[in-house]
Amino acid sequence: MDSADLKSLHVLVVEDEVLIRWSIAETLNSAGCVVTEVADAAGALYAAATEDFDAVVLDYRLPDSNDLKLLEALRDRLPGSTIVMMSAHGTPEIVRQAKALGVREFFDKPFEMEALKASLICPA
Amino acid sequence: MAILAMASAITVTIASVMVYRAIDLDSNASSQLHVVGNILPVVALANIITVLVIWRLAAADSRRQRESTGALQADKINLERQIAASASDLRDSDERLRSVIDSAVDGIIVIDHKGHIDAFNRGAERLFGYPASEVLGRNVNMLMPSPYHEEHDGYLARYLATGAAHIIGIGREVIGRRRDGTSFPLHLSVGEMAVGGERKFTGVLHDLSSRVSLEKQLRSSEARWRAIVESAVDGIVVIDGHGRIEAFNPAAERLFGYSEREVRGSNVNVLMPTPYHEEHDHYLARYHATHVKKIIGIGREVTGRRKDGSTFPLQLSVAEMVLDGETRFTGILHDLTERTRIEAQLREQTALARLGEMAAVLAHEVKNPLAGIRGAIQIIGGRLPKDSKDAQITQEIVSRIDALNVLMKDLLMFARPPQPKTSKVELNELVRSTADLLSADPALKGIRVEVEGSAPAVLADPDLLKIVFVNLLVNGAHAMQGEGILRVGIGSQGHAAEVAFRDSGPGIPENVRPRIFTPFFTTKSRGSGLGLPTAKRLVEAHHGTIDIECPPAGGTTVRVQLPTA
Repeated sequence: MDSADLKSLHVLVVEDEVLIRWSIAETLNSAGCVVTEVADAAGALYAAATEDFDAVVLDYRLPDSNDLKLLEALRDRLPGSTIVMMSAHGTPEIVRQAKALGVREFFDKPFEMEALKASLICPA
Repeated sequence: MAILAMASAITVTIASVMVYRAIDLDSNASSQLHVVGNILPVVALANIITVLVIWRLAAADSRRQRESTGALQADKINLERQIAASASDLRDSDERLRSVIDSAVDGIIVIDHKGHIDAFNRGAERLFGYPASEVLGRNVNMLMPSPYHEEHDGYLARYLATGAAHIIGIGREVIGRRRDGTSFPLHLSVGEMAVGGERKFTGVLHDLSSRVSLEKQLRSSEARWRAIVESAVDGIVVIDGHGRIEAFNPAAERLFGYSEREVRGSNVNVLMPTPYHEEHDHYLARYHATHVKKIIGIGREVTGRRKDGSTFPLQLSVAEMVLDGETRFTGILHDLTERTRIEAQLREQTALARLGEMAAVLAHEVKNPLAGIRGAIQIIGGRLPKDSKDAQITQEIVSRIDALNVLMKDLLMFARPPQPKTSKVELNELVRSTADLLSADPALKGIRVEVEGSAPAVLADPDLLKIVFVNLLVNGAHAMQGEGILRVGIGSQGHAAEVAFRDSGPGIPENVRPRIFTPFFTTKSRGSGLGLPTAKRLVEAHHGTIDIECPPAGGTTVRVQLPTA
C-alpha cells in the first residue's frame, strides 16, 4: 500500500480511549492525512456539522453513545465520506447492521494500524 | 325278647343323642361323625318301631296259640304297660333328638336317592330362608345356584351308578342359594345312610359368610398393600431390629441392582458406601439404647451403593413399626440421581450465563485498553532505532498483548459462544481443510492427520465446527508431543454423524478425566484450559455430544456426534 493514497485526506477520528485515538492520529498524520480528533458523540456531531470529512474512524462505544444512531447521523451529514468502525466487542449482529448502514470496515480491537490505513484508501 | 329289643333301641338312641351333642359342640367334627350322628336317630327310631311291631304281632300269634287267657291277659296288660312306657320313652327320646337337631346352629338336610328333601332342620331354615314345609319333598337343587342347580341331579345319578364320591364323606366349601335368590358360601359335609334299604344322604351345612367376607377383606387388603409396595416407584426396604433385610420391593431392586432373593437376610449396610457401611450397626445399636431419633421419622439425603459398587444420591425416609412385638424399620428410598443431575446442569447453566455476562463486560474493559496500549507501543517502537534493544522490547510487549487478547477471545468464545449460523456441512471436507490449517503450524509439522470414512452432511455452523476440530486436533497433537499420526474416523450412527479423533499419546489419567471439560483446568504448562470446554459448548450448541475414551491399548479417542441434516 502506498501512503500517498491517504495524502491530504481529511479524517475525523471518534474515540474516547486516548491511547487508541493518539495511535490512530499519529498513524494517519504520518501518512499525510489531516486528522480531527474527538472523544465523544457530541464532539463528532459538532465536527461533522462544521467541517467536511473524506473519512470517519468511529468507535462503537462512546461515553454518550452505545448504538448505531451516531453512525446514521454522521452518514446523513457526510454523505460522501468513507466510514470505518471499531469495537472491543462488536457482536456479529452489530457488525452486520453497521455494514448495512454503509460502514466499509468494522475492526475488532485490537487491530493493526496498517489494516486501518488500507481500509481508508478509496477504491479506484 | 321285648326287653332286649327295647334295650338295644334305647342304647342306640342314647348313642345318637350323644353324637348329636358332639356335633353341636364341635361343628368342625369330621363328616363321618356327622353321618353317624344324622343316620343314627332315624335308623334307631325306625328299628325300634319295627322291632315293636314285629314283637307285638309275634305276641298275638302266641296268644292265639296258647289259649291260656288268664295268663295271657296278665301278660298282655303287663306288656301293654311296658309298650306304653317304651313308647313314652321313645317319644321323649324322639323329641330330644328333634330338639337337638332343631337347636343345632348348623343346617341339617336329609335327601333321598332322587335328591328330594326328606328332612330340613331349623338351622337349614335359618340358612336358606325357607320353612321346612316349603322344601320337603322338593329337589334339593333348589338350594343351589347355577350351575350346581342344573348339575346336581347328574352328580347324584353318577354317584349312585359309579360310587365315585366327590363330596360324600369328604366335605367342602360350596355355594348355597337362599330363598331370596342371594348366594352364600357354606361348608357342606355329606354322609350316606341306608334306611329300610333306601339310600339317603344327610348334609350338614355350616355358614361361612362371615368367615369368607373376612378372608376376602384380608385378602383384598393384603393384595392392595402388596400391589402398592410392588408397584411403588420408590424403593421400599424393610429391616428387622438387627438391620437385616426382610423385604425389598422391585423398585429397590432396580435402584440397587440386587434381587430381593440376594439381599433378604443380609445386613442393610450392603446398600451403603463407606463410612455408613461400617457405622450403620452402631447407629442401630445407639438407637435401641437411647431412642434418640437421628433419621427415623425425619428422612434425609443419603448415598446409596449399587451392587456394581457405584454410588447414587437418594432421599431416605425411615419409619419404625412394631409387629408381633418386634421392632422393624421401613425405609422409603427416592432416587435423586436425575434431580441431582438436573440441579448440577442448572447450576452449570446459571454459572455459564453469569460468566458470559462477565466475560462480555470484561472483554470490552480489557480489550479496549489493550488496543490502546498495543497501538501506542507500536508507534513508539517504530520511532526507536530498528535494531535497538528497546525496539525489540516493544515488540515483546505487543506479542504479550496479543496473547492476552487471544485469552480474552477464547474466554468469550467459551463463555458467550455465538448462536450457530447453520448450513449443510460435509464433515469430511471440513475436517480435511481444518487439518491442512494445522499442518501450516510449524510447531505441529511432525503430525500427520489421516482422515477416513464419511458421513451424511450435518446442519452446522462451519466456522464454529472448525473451532471444535482445531481444538481437538491441537489437543491430540500436543498429547503426541507434536510427532506421529492423528487418525480421524468419520462415520454415522443412526441419525448422528460421528467424528472420532484418535491420538497415540499417553492417554488421560483416570483421576484427571472427570475434570477435562472444566474451564481453565489444564495439565499443560501453557494453555488456557478452554480448548475442550469450548469444544463441548460448541458441540452442545449444535445439539451434539462429545465423549472421551482412553482405550486400554493406549491413546485417547475424542468422539463428536452431531445430528445429520
